[in-house]
Amino acid sequence: MEEDKETSRQNTAQDTSKSTENKTTTIENNSINLIKNDEIKDKNDKNANINANIKNKISIPKIKLNFSSIKNIYENQYKKLLIIPFLILLLAFVQIGYQLASTGDFIHRDVSLKGGVTVTVPTEQEIDILALENAVSLEFPNNDVGVKSISQFGSQAGVIVEADISQDESNKLLDSIKKNIGKELNENEYSVEIVGSSLGASFFKETISALGIAFVFMAIVVFLYFRTFVPSMAVILAAFSNMVVTLAVVNILGVKISAAGIAAVLMLIGYSVDTDILLSTRLLKRKEGTEMQRVYGAISTGIVMTSTTLAAVTIGLIFTQSEVIRQIMIILFIGLFADLINTWIQNVGILRLYLEKKAKKM
Amino acid sequence: MDTECRHIEALPGKKGKKDVKMNYKLKKIFTNVRVIILLVLLVLAVAAINPKPWIQGVAINNVETNSSAAEGGIQKPAPSVKPVNRERLLAIDNKPINNIEEYYNYVNQLELNQSVQIKTTKQLYRLRAKENGIGLKVLDPQKTNIKKGLDLQGGTRVLLQPEKKLSKEDLQSLIDTMQERLNVYGLSDLIIRESNDLTGNQYILVEIAGATEEDIRNLLEKEGKFEAKIANQTVFIGGKDIVFVCRSANCAGLDPNYGCSASGGQNICRFRFSISITPEAAKKQANATSNLEVIGDKASPGELYLSEPLELYLDDVKVDELSIGAELKGSTTTDIQISGSGVGISEQEAVLNTFNNMKRLQTVLITGSLPVKLNIVKIDNISPLLGKEFLSNALLLGALALVSIVVVIFARYRKLTIAIPMIFISLSEVILLLAIAALIGWNMDLAAVAGIIIAIGTGVNDQIVITDETLRGERVAYDWKQRIKNAFFIIMAAYFTIVVAMIPLLFAGAGLLKGFAITTIIGASIGVFITRPVFVRVIEILLKE
Repeated sequence: MEEDKETSRQNTAQDTSKSTENKTTTIENNSINLIKNDEIKDKNDKNANINANIKNKISIPKIKLNFSSIKNIYENQYKKLLIIPFLILLLAFVQIGYQLASTGDFIHRDVSLKGGVTVTVPTEQEIDILALENAVSLEFPNNDVGVKSISQFGSQAGVIVEADISQDESNKLLDSIKKNIGKELNENEYSVEIVGSSLGASFFKETISALGIAFVFMAIVVFLYFRTFVPSMAVILAAFSNMVVTLAVVNILGVKISAAGIAAVLMLIGYSVDTDILLSTRLLKRKEGTEMQRVYGAISTGIVMTSTTLAAVTIGLIFTQSEVIRQIMIILFIGLFADLINTWIQNVGILRLYLEKKAKKM
Repeated sequence: MDTECRHIEALPGKKGKKDVKMNYKLKKIFTNVRVIILLVLLVLAVAAINPKPWIQGVAINNVETNSSAAEGGIQKPAPSVKPVNRERLLAIDNKPINNIEEYYNYVNQLELNQSVQIKTTKQLYRLRAKENGIGLKVLDPQKTNIKKGLDLQGGTRVLLQPEKKLSKEDLQSLIDTMQERLNVYGLSDLIIRESNDLTGNQYILVEIAGATEEDIRNLLEKEGKFEAKIANQTVFIGGKDIVFVCRSANCAGLDPNYGCSASGGQNICRFRFSISITPEAAKKQANATSNLEVIGDKASPGELYLSEPLELYLDDVKVDELSIGAELKGSTTTDIQISGSGVGISEQEAVLNTFNNMKRLQTVLITGSLPVKLNIVKIDNISPLLGKEFLSNALLLGALALVSIVVVIFARYRKLTIAIPMIFISLSEVILLLAIAALIGWNMDLAAVAGIIIAIGTGVNDQIVITDETLRGERVAYDWKQRIKNAFFIIMAAYFTIVVAMIPLLFAGAGLLKGFAITTIIGASIGVFITRPVFVRVIEILLKE
């Protein structure tokens, strides 16, 4: 947005005459639709000019003007806009490649996917997570120890200690935890989950293959449904981009992925394909209105779909006590944002290019 | 339609007309076949779930073999009985029992031979406490027929992998032996099932509520190969050569000649129980003992023993050694006494451990060894307290998520005529899904809760598509049929993709995410085939002029 303003000011002097011509159209467009400001890069000089000019002459609130310019960019510069999702996808690949090169894995695996012990202890008094992590780490210098807090309504309800140690060391870990939180624990009061390292590794392999197979199945369904190459590929590419971008963001946040997390990525396939199919159907199979009207129609339905899911996911993220649910919600949360970009910029762009080429042929 | 509604509202005199119109529409909704079918299904679903929020007492979970409870006629709950119909203990000696704590507080202070009167949902029992209490294990009663999974209820889940690949028949016989072993040991309410993964690894999944990790390790990870040897010659082995193992108090229990003793800060107790072996095994024993010398003081005949003892091996480790009385030399006796011991810091703990050891050994002798060694590859011990907390948290979460969805829907459409049917349909989906889970005995765990969330999420998405297609169709003058067709084209595509995406999870990773996949698939199917058509009709009636 800032950039946008700056360029517009620079161009004002050179281009004043042109802008007055366009003034009327711009004002008409003001009433339409919100689109996220930060999705914009300053690629539209013409439009930026109008903004600056109108700001000088008539004092209409500047946000509204930006909407109109955004709308203009969205409608006319869709080819250039395609750079955004592809750039994000490229960056995501770079992140995942870096992760793979530096750790040997393309994600951070948690103990359920690499073997280890997880201990969950409910607590009444506040426990210093970092101190506990340091103290336990000292006793297991060769292992990766992580401590997380379970919170409910903002206050701590328990702690989760994870360590990639072997089965035989689980009692040692328990003793260390008991010692460090200064509380004798009854056997009923805590949970212990132990995953053997070979099972963890095979579990990882299994869930990743499940993900791959699911993706292929999804692609087949999409192809059978649309029976045209470009639109089907656009849907599949959007789903693929969602997965890759989400994994990269999760990596950057340092979240360790569990088996439930991989299941969440599977869910994401389902959710992201929803909006893409909606878009493709409305844009390609219907004839009423203009192309852009059909796109806006799809957006208004799609945004409500994503908003309801996001609302529920956010609630889950804030209130859950379970690591399983939290992990699923984090991945859906990130994935739904990625889906907004990949459906409404990437998929729309590709489909409009496709329609344009098709129209030229005819 | 929007404009007309506003128009009617603007004229106060026509308000009555609007009410009449609404009444007519409501009547039309509730006489619609699809709506009636859904309502009937919901009634059936509630009956299947059978919610009993005010259920009293504690549920009888297990009755120990030969305990006074078993002798008094109390029966173990059969797995086929639906959770809310299980026998519940209501009062002991006329004192009402409302939770597990009250029960254990009461029975732990019972004295030996004290008589107790137990009132259950079935009848009144009179029991006499034995040295190990009355032998009843209880759990909180289930308030619905929905079986709670391990992570919501607490318990132990073990994933075992056979050391070598087994044929279908061998695997089944292994599972049968395991099942028998756990049942003989006194664990009911358990699930054992085989599961495979995509690469063809074999696993056996065992879920038990109310067992300790140690029990499981001793009962399942050990092959349980029991051998009795004299001078390194096998005389009889567990399971095959044994026809009877005594487990009643008159021939099994603490060894009366030995009892318990303290030494070096530890207490040690000995147990003994008698077994009968087959005549063939008895003959083998006779042969093995016939060549042995008699040793000991000849003056006192009771103290004469044979030169080699009877050695007992469990999984190739010697667990005990018994001196053989001189009178048994060369005789083909079929009755043999087995003994062993247990230690503990206090005498009470020593007695408890001794009884546990005895029970495990008896179990192994009865069931014989497992055909193959099993490795524990995953073991989860979930605290029942944490499970309870997760459950209430999951319910809260569901309610809040639903409210947040209502808020968004209402913010978008500003019409109760759209928001109310949507919420009603979503709730129906949850109820139908839970009813199916109750009917097929599917365990609801955290992953299944996630599956419900997905199903509801896609359900709401579909309803938004239907609503928008019908509202939009109005503007471009499609007829209703075309609008619905348009909506279902999108809905079916979304449905097929979610189902095919879940299919691989049914088979991957030892089936641990199967619950998630199945719940999602069932939930999405209920939506597409039952509730979505109802929503379409309701919206049609409400929005059509």
